[in-house]
Amino acid sequence: MNSISNSRRQFLIKSISAAAVIYIIPALSNKTLAAKPPSQKVSNKTRWAMHIDAAKCADGCTACVDACNEENGLYGFNRPKTDPQWIRKIKIKDINTDKVTTLPMLCQHCENPPCCDVCPTGASFRRIDGIVMVNQHTCIGCRYCMMACPFKARSFVHENLTQQLTTAPRGKGCVESCNFCVGRLDSGKEMTACEEACIKEGHHAISFGDLAKPLSRVNTSLKQSPSIKLRADLKLNQRVTYTGF
Amino acid sequence: MRSSLMSKLEINQKLFWFLLSILGLFILVGFFSAHIMEEEGHHITGMNNQIIWGLPHVFAVMLIIISSGVLNTATLSSVFDKTLFKPLAPLSALFAVAFLISGLLILVLDLGRPDRLVVAMTVYNFKSIFAWNIFLYSGFFAILVIYIWSMLDFTVKKHSKAVGTFAFIWRIVLTTGTGSIFGFLIAREAYATAILAPLFIVMSLLYGTAIYYLLYNLICKLNKKIISLEITQNFIKLLRIFLYINLYFLILYHLTNIYISKHIDYELFILFNGGIYTFLFWLGQILLGIIIPILVLSNKNMSISSLLVIVGGFIGIWVIIIGGQAYPLNMFPNHEIVESSFYDSGVYPYTPSLYEIALGLGSIALTLFIILAAIANLKFIPIDENKY
Amino acid sequence: MISVVRTILILAMIVPSISFSHDNQKHHEGKSKADDLNQCVEPTDVMRKKHFEFLYHQRDLTVIDGIRTKQHSLANCIDCHVSYDSNGIAIPINSEGQFCYTCHIETATKIDCFTCHATIPRYSKKSIYNKINKISMVSQIHSELNKDSHIKYHEQYIE
Repeated sequence: MNSISNSRRQFLIKSISAAAVIYIIPALSNKTLAAKPPSQKVSNKTRWAMHIDAAKCADGCTACVDACNEENGLYGFNRPKTDPQWIRKIKIKDINTDKVTTLPMLCQHCENPPCCDVCPTGASFRRIDGIVMVNQHTCIGCRYCMMACPFKARSFVHENLTQQLTTAPRGKGCVESCNFCVGRLDSGKEMTACEEACIKEGHHAISFGDLAKPLSRVNTSLKQSPSIKLRADLKLNQRVTYTGF
Repeated sequence: MRSSLMSKLEINQKLFWFLLSILGLFILVGFFSAHIMEEEGHHITGMNNQIIWGLPHVFAVMLIIISSGVLNTATLSSVFDKTLFKPLAPLSALFAVAFLISGLLILVLDLGRPDRLVVAMTVYNFKSIFAWNIFLYSGFFAILVIYIWSMLDFTVKKHSKAVGTFAFIWRIVLTTGTGSIFGFLIAREAYATAILAPLFIVMSLLYGTAIYYLLYNLICKLNKKIISLEITQNFIKLLRIFLYINLYFLILYHLTNIYISKHIDYELFILFNGGIYTFLFWLGQILLGIIIPILVLSNKNMSISSLLVIVGGFIGIWVIIIGGQAYPLNMFPNHEIVESSFYDSGVYPYTPSLYEIALGLGSIALTLFIILAAIANLKFIPIDENKY
Repeated sequence: MISVVRTILILAMIVPSISFSHDNQKHHEGKSKADDLNQCVEPTDVMRKKHFEFLYHQRDLTVIDGIRTKQHSLANCIDCHVSYDSNGIAIPINSEGQFCYTCHIETATKIDCFTCHATIPRYSKKSIYNKINKISMVSQIHSELNKDSHIKYHEQYIE
């Protein structure tokens, strides 16, 4: 009897520790899951997300916007109404408390994106790892997605462009928006340009990462403070969440 | 009705070519401005990242719903067996084709990448109402062509009632689709209601009836005839009914939005403090487009009433499309947007550019061009002097 | 009948000029890395006929599935086929007399890749090019580039 229960106990201990080795330890570590090799498709095991702590966002700082412009080769023509903005700073005031907050506004990467629902050609699509982006090869420039977006996250390219970056192709007649620096992510760098800039400035207002990794920066940040989704009444279930206003 | 009782337009050759070349000129200017828009990009237009759809879309929606509505006359004869309207039916289908072609063309020419039309026709996302509409519009075109054929060719005439009925169902679905382009946009307070679909249907019936009468009147003038009293009286009855239904749905649409408490601010904007949009709504859409036409109709003046309906209708679509976008998005409920580089607060102004106006006028010219060329060469017009 | 014969004759004259517009001569000005290599990523005749199919296939894989392999990527084509002028500065690949332009003008096929895509290599740091003066030293440009850590990231990005 005793030996049986001993062996059962040993079996349980062994299998639990095996499970720990296989599942828990890699999940706890950020580095153990190697970056996806270039030949491999992205999968839904990765779930990119961003958390923005508006309380840490500094008034007057535009580091994230500048970094985005540089990363994606965005430039204007001194025509603010038609110039593209993938990320922008907004200052809001609470009607009831008069509390003023500044925060960066960008594509919210909805899990139920209205832009993708309305796109007639499917050019506006949600990549399986959660990035909502525009396939500019099939975008016909109807701008229905811009009509459908509740966050005004998208810009239309209103003129001929030159000097595009290899990593960020973009051109006249297509709609574009934040794509979580998809080229960076595919190369294994799990950090968007805006987050990098925000950290470099010392604000740490933007935290990006993979929701599937418990220790990713976005998960750490989400644990610290309860987050809200903008226009939660629309049930779009965005991957970009906010705190602190 | 046998096709021998139909005739071509009897028009002086010189006048015909003169009219055709004037229209042709407008069409060329329209194409030319579309070309410049494509070469330069949309920054030369009045449209921008705030007012995303502009005057071209107002024209396109107007033309497409007219295309559907102008088929009323054919529907009365085929579906509701009103024999009086039977000889007027082919003309009605012709108008529908002409309006559909120009409406679609203007939509295509306004695309950011009109060169990718093939992509739009081959790659579909069936969750998109736009994608459905591509089928609805091209299907409507095919049905109309078959319908015209079935009415004009004596040998297949027996099928024309069936085709006409099918066309009737199709056009109701089509206008539902057009209304749903806006009705399913949850992002904007002006649009997020399915009532836009029936509203668009009744708008199409109203404008279609008015346009049919105006164009038929014009054709009779060119033919040196006068529309018979019987026809006019029937059209007056029809127009009056549609005017009342339109008013009803318009009130219902705004009441719905008032009832949805998160849309109340938009309603206050349109109804009371929206500046130009409030002005256009009350004076254009309501007074000019509905109230005055109803009053004028009691004087039996169908032409003036129809004209006002079209002008008021155009303004109405302007209020829906432009006004709906001019009102800022409510991204942060219970918050006021104090500062933004992307025009997130306040009402956006919109002034259409000459290119957009030229594109719109070109599309109207194209409609008339198609109609004129067709009626001068094919037997579309009834010749019974007393009745029509 | 005569018109049919005439059509056939005209076609017979035109068709070869379309399908055999490539000879083995170099068409573009300047010097590119590809000039020194025997073969592209596929055998030359395959590339001539099917390069667009490869690009077309790759573009969907890249955008939709995030596959970033180097072999058939447009960025890689440009890296290798772009020419450098005598100052070692990259000449846009779609400009007159250059690799893409020359053939596509000759075969009258319009491409719109470059309304959006970059026309010069991804790591065109002018400062680096300016260090090297002679076009015969293109390979040197590339070895020079590989030292730069900034480029390491980009290289890794396409590996």
